[in-house]
Amino acid sequence: MAASLSFSGSARLLAALGRSSVLHSSFESRGLHVTAVCFKNRAARIRIGKGDQPLTYEQAHHPHQIAHRKGWLSQHASNLKGEGGAAERTMEDVFIRKFMFGTFHGCLADEVVIKRRGNALIVCALMLQKMPPQKFYFLIGYSESLLSHFYKCPVKLEIQTLQSKAVYKYI
Amino acid sequence: MAAPLVLRRDLFSFARILGGISQLGPRCLSACSSHNWKCNQTRFQPLQTSSTFFHTATYLSSTPSSITVTDEPDTLFQKVVVLVKAHDRAVLDSYEFFATMAAKELGIAMGKVFEPPKDIERLTLLKSVHIYKKHRVQYEMRTHYRCIELLHITGSTAQVYLEYIQRNLPEGVAMEVTKVTKRTRTATFMENVKNSRMKLNFLLCSHL
Repeated sequence: MAASLSFSGSARLLAALGRSSVLHSSFESRGLHVTAVCFKNRAARIRIGKGDQPLTYEQAHHPHQIAHRKGWLSQHASNLKGEGGAAERTMEDVFIRKFMFGTFHGCLADEVVIKRRGNALIVCALMLQKMPPQKFYFLIGYSESLLSHFYKCPVKLEIQTLQSKAVYKYI
Repeated sequence: MAAPLVLRRDLFSFARILGGISQLGPRCLSACSSHNWKCNQTRFQPLQTSSTFFHTATYLSSTPSSITVTDEPDTLFQKVVVLVKAHDRAVLDSYEFFATMAAKELGIAMGKVFEPPKDIERLTLLKSVHIYKKHRVQYEMRTHYRCIELLHITGSTAQVYLEYIQRNLPEGVAMEVTKVTKRTRTATFMENVKNSRMKLNFLLCSHL
């Protein structure tokens, strides 16, 4: 298919392949790959580097580890069988994540976790101690009241602060 | 019901702010009043470890429903089936333990508590934005179930138990309740029964 071998004699190629299949353990034989380019998965993965980039637990694990080593960042019942409203919940989640990123700029230590219990929206976040606590309390109250007016449901913020980001490994 | 809730939350946030300020100590309050921001920052430095370690917690409180006394007889349920759905099996395990313990403490007769087989909904989508039809990506959504049956329960007991169970439903868990009760023999019901019997007799006679 994609392999265009320009040397003459398909017989020579067949002979070479025959030799490689019989003497595959010999140092003279070589495997020949004749497929199209196979795409590696790149979703939500940080590629391996020199060893100086710190990663949190969330960033270090790939998406296929969800429900094994990772949990869920957004917990609601719309994706269950027989339940509706998944698109609306997803839009709300996207807006809330952007809002939190903008309001607490530079203070977020890890991804925001969004939980829905009944009518209430609970936004959980880990923050770095970049601002004095009074500013934090003001921003928490501001976000809670603004989001609850916007989404017409009680919105609660659960914030926990850290000195610095929790590093899981260096990549 | 909304007003006392708002007041309670405001009180909590006020108490938190007061607690935060009191932790700083009287020295820093006098520094704050001088309106010198740089001075404030240097003052905060030695106490930063104790004052900025805070976290907020949610208080999901609400007024309890009032008890009503009526003369009409209570509805009786032969069976109340509670089906709980979730993406995580461990969450359902703990919820089942909680529900069965609550029913045992309240003295409710339990039927079977079993786990129906899980449902997996799979999607196969194209991996690339443009062309490359042979390379796809597969996603799946797993729904685990748990079924709890309650037998021979009265209406008021069912209401109380279900309200308690539903208030403590974890996030990302859905519940379906099926109630089985015997219907009383009303006049229209008896009419329908008589009509259907007459139709059956007519059909049998016309065949002969």
